[in-house]
Amino acid sequence: MRFSCRRLLGAGLAAGLLMGLAGSVSAQTISYSEAGALLAKSCGKDIEKYCPKVNLGGGALKDCLQERAAQINPQCIADYKTVVASLSARLAAQAAVTKACRGDATQFCQGTAPGNAHYLNCLNAAKKVVSKRCTTAITNAGWN
Amino acid sequence: MSRSIRNTSLLSLAVAGMLAGGLSSANAQTALSGDQIVQTMGSAARAAPPGLTAALIRQAVQQHMIDNPGMPITWKPLELLDNLAQIDVQIQFALNSAIIRPESYSTIGSMADALHHPILGGYKFVVTGNTDTTGNRKDNLALSQARADAVVEALTTTFSVDPSRVEAVGLGEEALEDVKNPKNPINRRVQLINIGKYLPGK
Repeated sequence: MRFSCRRLLGAGLAAGLLMGLAGSVSAQTISYSEAGALLAKSCGKDIEKYCPKVNLGGGALKDCLQERAAQINPQCIADYKTVVASLSARLAAQAAVTKACRGDATQFCQGTAPGNAHYLNCLNAAKKVVSKRCTTAITNAGWN
Repeated sequence: MSRSIRNTSLLSLAVAGMLAGGLSSANAQTALSGDQIVQTMGSAARAAPPGLTAALIRQAVQQHMIDNPGMPITWKPLELLDNLAQIDVQIQFALNSAIIRPESYSTIGSMADALHHPILGGYKFVVTGNTDTTGNRKDNLALSQARADAVVEALTTTFSVDPSRVEAVGLGEEALEDVKNPKNPINRRVQLINIGKYLPGK
């Protein structure tokens, strides 16, 4: 049950990724959840084999993968770099939203403030008139 | 029962992801998306009492062990956390260790997605670890603390969550989900709990 379910989900994710690449407004960043899934998929076997006593956090995993680079499959090394770059881009986009959307929020979403639920709802609902700078920041932040 | 519900929600997530066409939030490892966590955690109706801290929860757990000897079925429930906005998270650890298995990286990522969402930006959280009653009660408390610590470390380093907003608390076997079947694996879980407003500097 579990495995068949996984296969189906894998197919769903792949389809989602393909369609996302084809679309014009897809995010240039991936979510933290997708980052975790990608690490598990590309590096999971090597981690359990070569770094079994190493945890995800605190830089230990990165250190171990680097030390064992000769044995680790190249896809893992490549995807690890992709994950780090994408998460740092997402963090920057999240930090940039308030500034990037300030003018739009004042113009289209009066009475809302970053941190309240209406703020993103309003900016997303108004995306046809909201500036590209703002919608891009929201998309790359993963909040659209 | 709960497994079938979980699978159903997984499937509907996958379908939603395909329809939306963007980078879908469904993935192979987790039933839980960041958005689901945000919805559960942001519930204002379940606001935490002012002044609740991770340290107070730890104290309550210690007191619970002192006050409740004997079999779990006779223990008074640890009520401190009952009414808080919270969600159970299944994280797979290596046997008797705090090493998070790669299959659970995406679930921790979902927690990070939620904690980075602006709707939850004003709140503080506790990540708990829970064991079943297999083994020694004190060892279980230590293991659950180490596991909660590992999750918090991953959240605050790899996934860049602000460390002043999330703390780890081991609950050991003191807050069993299934008291009648204390060795039921369902008791082994991590929880994310909203413990109230985040006031920077406090």
